[in-house]
Amino acid sequence: MVRNVADRAFLPTKSLLEEVGDMMILTGKTIMSALRPPYPYGGEFVNQFLFALKLCWFPLLVSTVAFGYGAPGLQAANFLVLFGAIDRLGGFFVLASIREFAPFVTAIVLAGVAGTAITADLGARKIREELDALQVLGIDPIKNLVVPRFLALMLVTGLFNVYALLFGVFAGVLATLVNQAPLGGFWANFFGQASLTDLWGSTLKTTLFGAIIAIVCCYKGMTASGGAEGVGRAVNQAVVIAFLGIFAFNYVFTQTLLATNPELANLR
Amino acid sequence: MSTTATSQEDEYRWHTGLKRAHGSKDAVEFFDVHKAFGRNKILRGLNMGIPEGKISMILGPSGTGKSVCIKHMVGLLYPDQGDVLVHGESVPNMEDDQLFKMRQKFGVLFQDGALFGSMNVFDNVCFPLRQHTEKSEEEIGEIVNRRLAEVGLQNAHDKMPNELSGGMRKRAGFARALVLDPDIVLFDEPDSGLDPVRTALLGELIQEIHEDMMNEAQKRGTPAPAFTLITHDIMTARRVAEHISVLWKGRIVESGPAAELFQSDNQFVRQFLAGESQGPLGME
Repeated sequence: MVRNVADRAFLPTKSLLEEVGDMMILTGKTIMSALRPPYPYGGEFVNQFLFALKLCWFPLLVSTVAFGYGAPGLQAANFLVLFGAIDRLGGFFVLASIREFAPFVTAIVLAGVAGTAITADLGARKIREELDALQVLGIDPIKNLVVPRFLALMLVTGLFNVYALLFGVFAGVLATLVNQAPLGGFWANFFGQASLTDLWGSTLKTTLFGAIIAIVCCYKGMTASGGAEGVGRAVNQAVVIAFLGIFAFNYVFTQTLLATNPELANLR
Repeated sequence: MSTTATSQEDEYRWHTGLKRAHGSKDAVEFFDVHKAFGRNKILRGLNMGIPEGKISMILGPSGTGKSVCIKHMVGLLYPDQGDVLVHGESVPNMEDDQLFKMRQKFGVLFQDGALFGSMNVFDNVCFPLRQHTEKSEEEIGEIVNRRLAEVGLQNAHDKMPNELSGGMRKRAGFARALVLDPDIVLFDEPDSGLDPVRTALLGELIQEIHEDMMNEAQKRGTPAPAFTLITHDIMTARRVAEHISVLWKGRIVESGPAAELFQSDNQFVRQFLAGESQGPLGME
């Protein structure tokens, strides 16, 4: 009885910690494999990069404009109009869009579209024993399958962040125009608040979000078991864990960025 | 303590572990191998040898650890305790580079062929040669065409794996397993999902190719190829096997030349090899 209760509480925690540990080990092995010659993953890297680009550009465009216009755009503009300070929307968009929403929306779209495709692909290969066959044929699946996906997702999320920033800020412009305010104030306030640190911080953060998505999705795909149902379960778990990882990492990153760059906390 | 020991003795009362002499060196050896997945203990002190130059079979009821054995041989799984030797070298103690090199000694036919879904049959069979040899495309094409003809797939070059039947996928997987002229060929349930006629034909094909490879190995002076089939199909065992290891509850019950095993006095071995319902093996 006591043992049963202890097992129920302890075993899920143990398996969760083991899974997190395994993902850390996969990250280490992936980085080592990426750096150590030979480098046979060039072709697969390009394929994965183009695959993610093709799948994600349109959902990301719609998401950034709709989210930027709906959430920080309309909501903040309605609030600022009360004080006759709609021009402050530009500065707010630096905080909202550049630092937080653009990286978040990019990561969510990438995890939901490209990450799930990666988990489903690797999971299906695992179920069909293709991954075992690769290893038996002397091919390292980390070097040949995980590394190109890891690098491609990092690069594509980093680049998509810039794309998301542009469309996110466009949504802010749209919100200003809808409130029949001139754009001069918006831009003046925007550039008064924005700094280079905001830009590189946002891009670096999103690139690392890409690394988290790639590791989680590759890990869940490569450890899928239990037939087609198991692959579906792996995809579902990959998305949930990737989101949790992104949110947790975002907290650590933002805290660190603000602590090391205190001027970013001032609203000018 | 004594109760546990008694129940274990009782559980393993048919496991004499008798290794009858087969007159060859062992290509693969298991020494007191234990393996568990969570609380589920699969291998529980496995001692087994796979002889060189013979078609051997690992037979046993479902869920008894046969596929886990194959994965230990090629280093896809590692034992929790004990050792696995391939040509005298310990697999669990190998570095990654050594392991990838050692795996080139093996050809493995997985249950469903495990063909790469993005490549056609020809490219699937070419894959090991392109990865591990410096041969020209012309030489590779020659070898692959010969192997595909041997398995009767000479007209299926351009087919994708999803266009093939189960039997064709297995034969393509067989051709891929053979292209590097491996010293050890492993077949994970080659008869699963096949009708009895196709199973018999596949068995004949395995025998023919083993004989050809034996002749080639003799000419080249390389180790005689060890073919190992994992199955619970007794008909295939009667037709093809030269050496049999009977595995149950993670340990060997008995092993030795097929003819001797079929005459064994061990009640479990007799029941299993005769496919009878009466005997020590029940539905549990």
